Amino acid sequence: MGATGSILQLCNLTRRVGEGTPARAIVDDVSYSFDSGRLYSIIGPSGAGKSSLLRLLNRLDESTNGYVKFEGSDTREFSPCELRQRVGYLFQTPHLFDRTVRDNIVYAQPDLSESKINRLIQQVQLPSGIVDAPVDNLSVGERQRVALARLLATQPEVALLDEPTAALDPANTEAIERLIGSVVKDCGVTVIIVSHSPQQVVRLGGEAILMVEGKLIEHGDALQLVKNPGTPQGRRYMNGELQ
Amino acid sequence: MTTPGLTEVLLAAIMVVIAIAVARYWRLPVIKDMAFGSVRAFVQLVAVGYAVRFIFDIESPWLIMLALGIMMTVGAHAAAGRVKDIKGSFSICLMSMMIGSLITLATMLVFKIISFDARYIIPLAGMVIGNSMNASALVIDRLASDLRGNRLAIETALALGKSWREASQKFHRDAARTGMVAILNFLKTVGIVALPGAMTGMILAGADPVEAVLLQIIVAYMLLAATTITSVVAVELTIRRFFTRHHQLRIDR
Repeated sequence: MGATGSILQLCNLTRRVGEGTPARAIVDDVSYSFDSGRLYSIIGPSGAGKSSLLRLLNRLDESTNGYVKFEGSDTREFSPCELRQRVGYLFQTPHLFDRTVRDNIVYAQPDLSESKINRLIQQVQLPSGIVDAPVDNLSVGERQRVALARLLATQPEVALLDEPTAALDPANTEAIERLIGSVVKDCGVTVIIVSHSPQQVVRLGGEAILMVEGKLIEHGDALQLVKNPGTPQGRRYMNGELQ
Repeated sequence: MTTPGLTEVLLAAIMVVIAIAVARYWRLPVIKDMAFGSVRAFVQLVAVGYAVRFIFDIESPWLIMLALGIMMTVGAHAAAGRVKDIKGSFSICLMSMMIGSLITLATMLVFKIISFDARYIIPLAGMVIGNSMNASALVIDRLASDLRGNRLAIETALALGKSWREASQKFHRDAARTGMVAILNFLKTVGIVALPGAMTGMILAGADPVEAVLLQIIVAYMLLAATTITSVVAVELTIRRFFTRHHQLRIDR
């Protein structure tokens, strides 16, 4: 993959944790380049470092070694608050602030106009009447959509989604997957999603990245990587031998 | 009431015997603590009595300051012992107690509400430091527990571009309020539910009740100021232990 159009570049990115000598690497010397306006899925067994990698991309955590470049500049040169609005993050179980749907959507953008709020509600396929509803009354699927609308309200260039469908039923999973596709196609947002399901990665399409024990094992076209992995670890993972 | 001597104190120990007998009958697992605590309180208070008498006799400003320093250090050590799992809790307690207590006492001295005599400074500082000690421990404990328990909420706010201060603001206020709850309750109920210590002491010592009340009001206002300042400083010092300068929440996962 060339550097042209690259929005995020990971250079020898490493994060070590714990007191041991050496401390355990949960992300181990990962180098990769994400192109603008594309969809990427990071897959791998539990504890592979997928979510940890995602947290490094918008500096929710600090790397031990290596660095991330955003639009050609080291992310350490950005103010973390600015970086996080441009490289948004959606948690696996979204936290909604204890107010209304509207309050949540404008949380990071208090000046958001009414028309933009309505457009976001429409974009995430929530009923328009829901805007002033308290978030307590929402279903899990609706909560995830509100969280997605809140993320999109900041108009991020990159959206990092950490297993956004893990707690959803098949119908809601399918709807969120469609939404993710439209965010990439219609808004030109680069989406990097962590998934534990190779089937989902195939449904989403785009590029896939396989991580095992903190290392980037292989990457390539999603369908190709899932159906015909090029490494022994890739084959073991796809055969269900690595969980 | 006669002026208490050692005989009266030993007779009052009957109360300890009664309390231990009740605890023993109910098999409360505190008998050792009760016995040890009673003896310890006796030894500590007698030692303090002689120490304070010595300070009163010498009347040296340096000695008063030394006494205040010891009171704060011991108080900070006791408060930090209640929040052992927070790194640097001793320095947070000491700093917040010092700032809260010294600003309060200095203001009282500047406005000549009290004079720099050991007879006034030592007992008033004891009350101020004692209350600041409780406030600092409560604030640190509450704040740490709220930050740990609300990790997702805080990181959600950070991930949406909020600063660490914005992301944790609600918890600052809740923690500071926790440190002030005791004094706020005291102000609500003082004179109705309970007669406070300073006032009771003065009345027992034969002072005019109205004079005793006036002193008590001064003490209450001092405690309000000291606990408020201590609580706010404790929040400010504690919160910084939980965030990096890059607006990252620092809680071991």
